[in-house]
Amino acid sequence: MTSIPSAAPSWRRMQIPRPLQRLFDHFPLRTYEANELPERPQHLTSSDLPTLYVFSTDSDARLGLPSFNPGCLKWQTLLRLANIDFRTLPSTNHSSPTGSLPFLLPPRTSPTTSPPPVPASSLLSFARRHRSQQQQQQQQDKNFSNLDHLDDADLPPRAQAYLALISHSLRNAWLCALYLDPARAALLRRLYVDQASSSRAVRAALLYQLRRAAAEQVATTSPGSGLGSGADGVDGVDEEAVYRSAGQALDALASLLRESGTAWFFGAQRPGPFDAALFSYTHLMVEYMSEDEDGNRDGSGEDKGRRVPLGRMVKEAGNGELARHRESMLGVAWPEWDGYRR
Amino acid sequence: MAASLGFGGNNAIDKFNANATPDAAAPAYPGPTQMLNDHVLTPASISSIQVHGATNTRRSLLDHVFKPVVEDAAAPGTTLGQVLDRVGVATKKLARFDIFKEEGFGVFLSEAPRSPSAPPTDITDLDISIRVKEKSRLVFSAGTDFGNAEGSAYTNAVARNIFGGAETLSVNASTGTRTRSAYNATFSTPINGNPDLRLSVEALRSATQKPWASHEEHLTGANLRLAWLTEHGDTHALAYSGIWRQLTGLSATASPTVRAEAGDSFKSSLTHTFTRDRRDNPMLPQSGYLFRSISELAGWGPLTGDVSFAKTEVEASGALPVTIPGLAAKSGVSLGAGLRLGVLYPLPLGYSLVGAAQPSRINDRFQLGGPNDVRGFKTGGLGPHDGADAVGGDVFAAGSVNALLPLPRTGPDSPLRLQLFANAGRLVALNSKGTNKEGKEGLAMDSAAVFKGVKSAVGELTNQLPSLAAGVGLVYAHPVARFELNFSLPLVQRRGEEGRKGLQVGVGINFL
Repeated sequence: MTSIPSAAPSWRRMQIPRPLQRLFDHFPLRTYEANELPERPQHLTSSDLPTLYVFSTDSDARLGLPSFNPGCLKWQTLLRLANIDFRTLPSTNHSSPTGSLPFLLPPRTSPTTSPPPVPASSLLSFARRHRSQQQQQQQQDKNFSNLDHLDDADLPPRAQAYLALISHSLRNAWLCALYLDPARAALLRRLYVDQASSSRAVRAALLYQLRRAAAEQVATTSPGSGLGSGADGVDGVDEEAVYRSAGQALDALASLLRESGTAWFFGAQRPGPFDAALFSYTHLMVEYMSEDEDGNRDGSGEDKGRRVPLGRMVKEAGNGELARHRESMLGVAWPEWDGYRR
Repeated sequence: MAASLGFGGNNAIDKFNANATPDAAAPAYPGPTQMLNDHVLTPASISSIQVHGATNTRRSLLDHVFKPVVEDAAAPGTTLGQVLDRVGVATKKLARFDIFKEEGFGVFLSEAPRSPSAPPTDITDLDISIRVKEKSRLVFSAGTDFGNAEGSAYTNAVARNIFGGAETLSVNASTGTRTRSAYNATFSTPINGNPDLRLSVEALRSATQKPWASHEEHLTGANLRLAWLTEHGDTHALAYSGIWRQLTGLSATASPTVRAEAGDSFKSSLTHTFTRDRRDNPMLPQSGYLFRSISELAGWGPLTGDVSFAKTEVEASGALPVTIPGLAAKSGVSLGAGLRLGVLYPLPLGYSLVGAAQPSRINDRFQLGGPNDVRGFKTGGLGPHDGADAVGGDVFAAGSVNALLPLPRTGPDSPLRLQLFANAGRLVALNSKGTNKEGKEGLAMDSAAVFKGVKSAVGELTNQLPSLAAGVGLVYAHPVARFELNFSLPLVQRRGEEGRKGLQVGVGINFL
């Protein structure tokens, strides 16, 4: 039967006798043009540009402004450094083929067909292919250099140790500050919860799920994990240790940058994947966590009142190298944007 | 003995057992006694009604049913026949509470003893005694079930007559071929002692696979429902539901449309359902008709939520028996036809009618095609497709004609039929193509664009031939579900629509 997809067991396809197959081939007698897609997908998925699905707000995504999620921001920055023309669409983890954002959908090949999604891990190879296509089409290669400088493999071996500082210490601090600190609840809601639904019950359920997942993440990777020191934080997370570790990491990264000699890490002439990875945290920490924690500080204990917000930790690390690094990254990746949301 | 009305009496001079199942207690009382027939027109009144065996049932519930009987019988000129009719209606009403065993009903009449000092009269004063057997209050069951295009296994616990007022609590868990898991608990109670007016509250949680659109839908929510039965046997239901829908678990090949629609939404809606079923047999209609309408208002005004639309769907179908000249008996041949129509109209959230409206989501749009509606197409095989995904449409029309013929040697009374059918459908999505998009940034459509979009989608229904399939098959009408095995070929379709050439199996309770 022709209507059985190719994945069907072969015995089912082999069973059709030839005369029947010939009869089937005559049908349908008439085929019209395909139905048009509904308005929502028509509007959201019919762009001529590749679409990067990220955590973002509608207005930020339309302007291509940085995502508020570090994982998404890193890849968004890399694609911008690669000079790929793309647009962003606000989305959720439910959409992603890997279970987490970001991922990219290449433009449709016809109104109702499209290539498979590109997960984050394949974004660079997609960027390479996409650029070489663009070069062929436009018959020019003036400042299209290869993208090797954006590849993780191009980093010096010791970079891995420093990358671990970013993906553990900075990440845990970010998770603690955004998800577990009750004083940042309003921010967490604004970024991740309120957009999902207008229903209070749904928001409460999502907030609970988010917090629980973040607490699990931090608890399994933070230095104080497994000690059951629940006295200080949520679910056995030793928040002081997490922030202390983040401060040390920021200092180490600042001195690494100082040694580099150029504006970028490891003496590079152009920003690379390491710069993007660090920028994805430092930018968000400065952008969202420079102010002192709002909310009622009196009720939340003395030590919390004295805690330095992550944004200020970034600015004060070393001699301010990381803050300057963030500014330069914005200048390269978002030259049209002055770094302030209106 | 739980309840009695009026005075008791036991001087039985005329006792009859109507052997009344509720249906047999119909107005034309099939009394076995000749004496009764002779006495139908004698004046009568009720001295007492006693209900025996309703040990767990509240007195107030029985009062609601029997008080009118006693009050009516107090009117002068009431005959024995009228009293019996009313008692029959009341026992039928009692049976509809679904707390008494059908075979347990018994009605006994006796003449009340008269005090010697009372003046002589020709009115027969009756003591009525009604015997019932209560159903078990707690029932556990497990089994398999057939819904439309889905088989499932379930476990169910029902607590009946919880507070003695025919309240029911039903807790259900099931898993099936498409429903990965479903749990629901429903509490239902008659209002004002009326078995035909029920209020129910339901909490539900489920995860359902939607393979035609490469995703899974998780639902968590509750609804409040008021259902009533009219004198003519039509049913109405008015329901409010608040449901959190999560579109997740996308398959690797999910289309951009499904990826763009994945995530959470909350639907808060009011739904009215009307059903008039005058078919002789819902599984194998040979005569009669069915009319059903479903109207839903979501999100608008005080409802709020994430989606806002008005949606309505109507279904009409009928069957005519065909008599064969020269054959006096029922031929078993019948012709049937069905029509379904539906429209989804996006509305702005809030109280405005002209503000910007969000276009529909995949879980609100209609799906069409499959063995239960437009045969000869896969489930969700009609309408807009993005790659292999059926993404649904906002306006649809579907119709079918069929002839049912008894098979040779089985005769008209067998549940088996040969079926010839042709069915067609058209499912169209609303979009703003062709409207002026200048300066339009967001997803929202203004009211003029929505109106124009719906109008052009409705026009689209008829501007070409609908997608069409015809075929022949076997129908087996089991009391639980109807089974169909059809051979069909699509005659007209649109690119992207998925016709089914050859054999197709349909199992369900509601066919077009």
